[in-house]
Amino acid sequence: MALIEIQKVNKIYNTTSVAVQALKDITFKIEEKEFTAIVGPSGSGKTTLLNVIGGLDKVSDGKVLLNGQDITVMNEGKLIDFRLHNIGFVFQAYNLIPVLTALENVEFVLFLQQVGKKERNQRAIELLKQVGLEDQADRKPAELSGGQQQRVAVARALASHPAYVLADEPTANLDSHTAESLLDLMQDLNKEHGITFVFSTHDSKVIRRARRVITLEDGEVTSDKIS
Amino acid sequence: MMMVILAWKNIWRNKKRSLIILAATVIGVTSGLFVIGMMSGMYDSIVSSAINRELGSMQIHTAEYKKDQLISQFIPVPDSIVSLLRSHPDVQSVARHSLIEGMASSATTATGVMIFGIKPEDEKQVTSVSQSIIEGTYLDSSQKANSIIIGKKLAEKLKLKLRSRIVLSFSGLEGNIVYAAFRISGMFQTNATLFDQTNVFVPQQDLTALLGTEAPVHQIVLRTKDSKILEQTKSELQKKIHNGILVETWKEIAPEIKLTADSSDIVNVIFLGIILFALLFGLTNTLLMSVLDRVRDFGVLLAVGMYRRRLFLMIILESFFLSFTGGIIGVAFGWGLTTYFNVNGIDLSVLSTGLSAFGIPTMLYPYLPSVVYRNLTIMMIITSIIAALYPAIKAVRLKPVEAIRTI
Repeated sequence: MALIEIQKVNKIYNTTSVAVQALKDITFKIEEKEFTAIVGPSGSGKTTLLNVIGGLDKVSDGKVLLNGQDITVMNEGKLIDFRLHNIGFVFQAYNLIPVLTALENVEFVLFLQQVGKKERNQRAIELLKQVGLEDQADRKPAELSGGQQQRVAVARALASHPAYVLADEPTANLDSHTAESLLDLMQDLNKEHGITFVFSTHDSKVIRRARRVITLEDGEVTSDKIS
Repeated sequence: MMMVILAWKNIWRNKKRSLIILAATVIGVTSGLFVIGMMSGMYDSIVSSAINRELGSMQIHTAEYKKDQLISQFIPVPDSIVSLLRSHPDVQSVARHSLIEGMASSATTATGVMIFGIKPEDEKQVTSVSQSIIEGTYLDSSQKANSIIIGKKLAEKLKLKLRSRIVLSFSGLEGNIVYAAFRISGMFQTNATLFDQTNVFVPQQDLTALLGTEAPVHQIVLRTKDSKILEQTKSELQKKIHNGILVETWKEIAPEIKLTADSSDIVNVIFLGIILFALLFGLTNTLLMSVLDRVRDFGVLLAVGMYRRRLFLMIILESFFLSFTGGIIGVAFGWGLTTYFNVNGIDLSVLSTGLSAFGIPTMLYPYLPSVVYRNLTIMMIITSIIAALYPAIKAVRLKPVEAIRTI
């Protein structure tokens, strides 16, 4: 059983004047421990696809099976629960909670999972160590650099022991050196801990490192290459 | 706990905005509590001064006297009733009154008065007339016969001075007209102008001499030890006192004073309600602005797996913290201000003419009944929840996929 299985997924946005088909008959599978990039030009549908895989957006047609569970039939509550326990998110703009420290940001997901205070504190410290920020644990996002914030975001994404991590343009706001460093971290996590990463990106640095690249154009998969 | 910490930290994200609503809450609650303290002090002094001045805790009359107030409608065996009253454990003091409507005349003018025949020593224990003497002395046994004390206002009306002669005329028990000259030994001034203008006090023994028989007792006034068990004491006494003699509490005798006492709680709640209603809009506005500023954060929280009900709760908590931080500071200031003036009093003597027309003392001692704190707490909880409803509903209706992309 594939970790992620997309079956004939269509997504149509009905605007006031015209219906826009963002995804057209998308079908593919992603296995555990993959390091996959979904690429394509702006408007090709890669973010929409990532949102669909992340259970953030509903499909118009088709099935999205995650660990064999069809998330397209789940209600809102179940989807939130599913996201909480199965999916880690890394966003382009880091999106950390500004009033919480790095440690608390990582802890917060564990709090949502109702993990006890002692355990979540230990795990959050451990994750910050993994991303090389244990000495920045008490700093708030505004006191961290962009690269450090994105590392905290990665630690937060990993906090819930997710089945996979979805990263939407994670390097878009970083300089090239910081981006490479972040990708090193993600690659290490993938290789050493077997964490599955799925990126939506048009950054060549990410594409170069991805072991699989799915290319989208006008909402359709035009190529699916494994290196 | 983490939700509580997050909510607390969230309200300080925009310090200026939060401080403005906090300041409004502090000012609103402080001034609200102080005004309530003033009103409570005023209500309390209206009630207590009426009880001290004339009502006592309870009064006893014949049923007929209550209707017609004639000199002949006296209590037949007052001594046995007084003995019975004095043997009751909750009765503190008892005084007998002869009440005779009559005319008070000076050389220049005359006016209708109620003549109180009293036993001066007993009266001291029951009413505050003896403490209200501002000129001359109170009645006592060492004075010559036909001494009288009258209100300062009545003296002014009749153009009389201390030691002046005043002539009282009234119908005797046989329907005959009794005239007698009294010498003013003292003048009293209470905080009720009407009382001072219409009541005079003479020793009961002088009335006995004038009437040629034991002065009739129309009213027995008593003070109880514990006002909380007033009704119980009344019913116990009424069971023992029969034959058309009525035992009534001050609340039955002066329902308008009771209404004043009873209405104070309601007035306080309405007053607090008005203040909190005004604050509600400010609080809602602050929370709404705060929610609109954080759309992307809420999108992230919903995306990573925060239940909508938790998000809702978080905004309610933020509202709760905002209102209660201001509320607690406001209560502290309000309490401090009220306590200060409770000790030092507020001198309203510039308004004495108007106030005394309503029986309100010119020195006001504000105080806050404990029920005000309870009501304020309940009302602030309700206000904070109502204020948070619209912003919270707006937040939980966000779609994470759209909210995350909000700039």
